[in-house]
Amino acid sequence: MRQTFSRAYDWCDERTGIRTLIRHALDEPIRGGARWAYVFGSILVFLFLLQVVTGIFLTMYYVPSADHAHTSVAYIQKVIPGGSMVRGLHVYGASAMVIFLFAHLAQTFLFGSYKGKRELLWGFGVIMMLIVFGFAFTGYLLPWDQEAYFGTKVGTSIAGEVPVVGQFQQHLLLGGNNLTTLSLSRFFTIHTFLLPTALVLLIIGHIYLFRVAGAAGSFSVRNDHKVELFYPKQLLLDSVGILLVFLGLVWMVYKIPAQLGPQADPTSDFLARPPWYFLPLFELLKYFPGKLSLIPTVILPAVLFGVLFALPFFDKRPTRNPLHRPLATTLMVITILGSVGLIVASKYQDRKDPDASAKLKKQEEDSQAFLKAEFKPEEIGKKPEKSAPGAAAATIKGEPPDPYTVTCSLCHGDHGEGAEGLGPSLVGITSKPNRTKEDLLKILNDPRSYGLKDPMPANFPDLSDADKHAIVDWIGAGK
Amino acid sequence: MDPQPQPERRSFLGLMIGIINTGIAAFMAVTLGRFVAGPKTSTASEPEWLDAGSISDVPDGKPARLNVTVAQDAGWAQFDNQQSVWIVKKGDNVQVFSAVCPHLGCSVNTNANGFICPCHTSTWNINGQRMGGPTLRGLDTLDHKIEDGTLKVKYQFFKQGLAGKEPIA
Repeated sequence: MRQTFSRAYDWCDERTGIRTLIRHALDEPIRGGARWAYVFGSILVFLFLLQVVTGIFLTMYYVPSADHAHTSVAYIQKVIPGGSMVRGLHVYGASAMVIFLFAHLAQTFLFGSYKGKRELLWGFGVIMMLIVFGFAFTGYLLPWDQEAYFGTKVGTSIAGEVPVVGQFQQHLLLGGNNLTTLSLSRFFTIHTFLLPTALVLLIIGHIYLFRVAGAAGSFSVRNDHKVELFYPKQLLLDSVGILLVFLGLVWMVYKIPAQLGPQADPTSDFLARPPWYFLPLFELLKYFPGKLSLIPTVILPAVLFGVLFALPFFDKRPTRNPLHRPLATTLMVITILGSVGLIVASKYQDRKDPDASAKLKKQEEDSQAFLKAEFKPEEIGKKPEKSAPGAAAATIKGEPPDPYTVTCSLCHGDHGEGAEGLGPSLVGITSKPNRTKEDLLKILNDPRSYGLKDPMPANFPDLSDADKHAIVDWIGAGK
Repeated sequence: MDPQPQPERRSFLGLMIGIINTGIAAFMAVTLGRFVAGPKTSTASEPEWLDAGSISDVPDGKPARLNVTVAQDAGWAQFDNQQSVWIVKKGDNVQVFSAVCPHLGCSVNTNANGFICPCHTSTWNINGQRMGGPTLRGLDTLDHKIEDGTLKVKYQFFKQGLAGKEPIA
C-alpha cells in the first residue's frame, strides 16, 4: 500500500515537480523563529477559502432575483440540512475576515514589516483590504431582507454623494436609479465573480511577493540570528490558530444562527444600522451635516487608505521596533481607540434614544420571529382553484358597503371572491403580510406605493375617507 | 541553532498538523454533503385524480393528446406544471398513456401505426405495445376514471430505461 502510494507520488513528481514545490513552500525560513504573531496571514487565507467553499455551495440554492432571493435564503436557513451551518459560516466568516484583516494589518504595521523593499507587498495588502470591504458591502444585500435592503440603500446613496463621479458610479452599481432586482443581479455578479477573481489574483501576488522579500521576522535584532523553517512549527501554530477560529465560528453558528429578517418592504420605515465594521463611519456622519458629510464618507476613508498605501514610500527609516516609532504607533493607537470609541458611542446613542431603541428592539423581535416561523414555499404558476361544479367560491360574509359595490366589485367580485385575470380574491387577505387593515387603507390612498399595477387604479378620487374605512372594515371583518 | 527540529519531533508536529486540518476538512465535507443532498423527499403519497378534460372531445380509435396540471414540489417553490397524456378511446374502452418516452424521457408523438418517439425512433402500436427501437417497454399506462364525462387521471412519473414500469417516488 505504502509502496503503491510512494510510486504514484514519484510518478506525479516526475511530471509536475510537486516534491520541489512542496519543499519550497514548507521550507520557508522565518527569521527569529515561529511566533503566534504570524498566524493572522494564514488564518486569512483559510477564512477566504472557507468563504469560497461555503459561497459556492450557497449558490446551489440561492436565486439572485428580488422576488425569490429572500425565499431561497429562508429555504437554505430553515429547510436544507446543514443550511444554517453553511450560511452561518459564510455570514460570520465575513466578519471574522474583517477582524483578522485588522489583526494582520496591525501586526505587520506594529512590527514595521512593510519596510525593506516591501512596498509592493504592502500595497497589494492594502488593495486586498478594499476588496474585502467590497465583499462585505455587496454580500450584505443578497438576502434581500429589511436590513439588507435599507442598509444597502444608505450605502449606495453615500456612493452617489462622491463629487464628480458619484452619480455615475451609483447608476453603474445599481443598474439604474433605484435599488431593484437589477441591482441585486449586479451585486451578485460582483460578489461571486468579479471580487473573488480579483482577490485570488491579489492573494497569489501577495504570497509571491512575500516569498521574494522573505519573512520580515521579529523587529528585535537580538533574536535575528535564530532561524526556523515554516514547517513544522509555524505551520502547526497556524493550524492551531485556524482550528480555534473555525471552532469559534461553528460555536457561534450553533449558539446564534445567522440573522434573517422579514423580506424587504420598501414602504416600511425600517431603521437601518450598518454592520459593526461600518459603525465608526456611520457614527461620524452624525457630526458632519450637509456637504460636510463627505468628510467621514469619502475624504477620511480615502486619506486613511492613501496614507496606508504610501506608508512604505515615505517611512524608509530602518527602525522597526514600535517603541522607537512613536508617531506611527500613536497614530495606530488613536485609530483603534477612535474606531472603538465611535462604535461604543453609536451603540450608546441608540440605547439612550427611547424611540430608536424601541424600534430597533421591535425589528430584532420581528427578525427572530421570522427566523423561528415555519418555511413557506412560493407558489409559482398556480392557477386559481377551479371551483367544483355547484360549490361557490369563498366569499366575504355580510353585505358589502355601497362604495365597494360601486368601485371594487367589478374586479374583486360582488363579495370579494375575486375575478380571474382582473382582481385577486380579498377573502382573508388581512391575515397576509403587508395587508393589515392599515395597509389596505394605505393601498386605497396610494396603490402604487405598494407596487400594485394596472388594472388596479392609481388612485380613487371618488372614495371619501369614510368610504375607504367602510370598505376596509368590511373586508377585515370577513376573514 | 539548527533550523530543523529532530526528525521524530518533526514528524510528530507534522502528524498534529495533519489531524487538525483533516478534522476541519471532514467536518466541512459532512456538512456540505448533507447540504447538497438536500431535505428528505417526503415518501410518495398516492397521486391525486387530476382533470384531463372532456372525454367526448376524444375521437374514436385515434390517439388524442390532453394536458393535466401537476403540482411539483421544487424546494423553495411549488410549481404547477402541464404534462401531456395520450388517450386512445375505442367505444367504451379508454386507455391513457404517459407522453414521456420510457426510454430516455423525450415526448412521444403519434404516427400512422400508433406512437413514435422522435428522439431515438422507438415505436409502439396504438395499444401502447412496444414495436421497435431502443425502448425496453411499452408506453406507461396511467390509472384513470370517467366522472360526469370528465376524464380524470392519476399522473405519475416512471423510471426510464427499464423493462418494467416503476413509479418514481
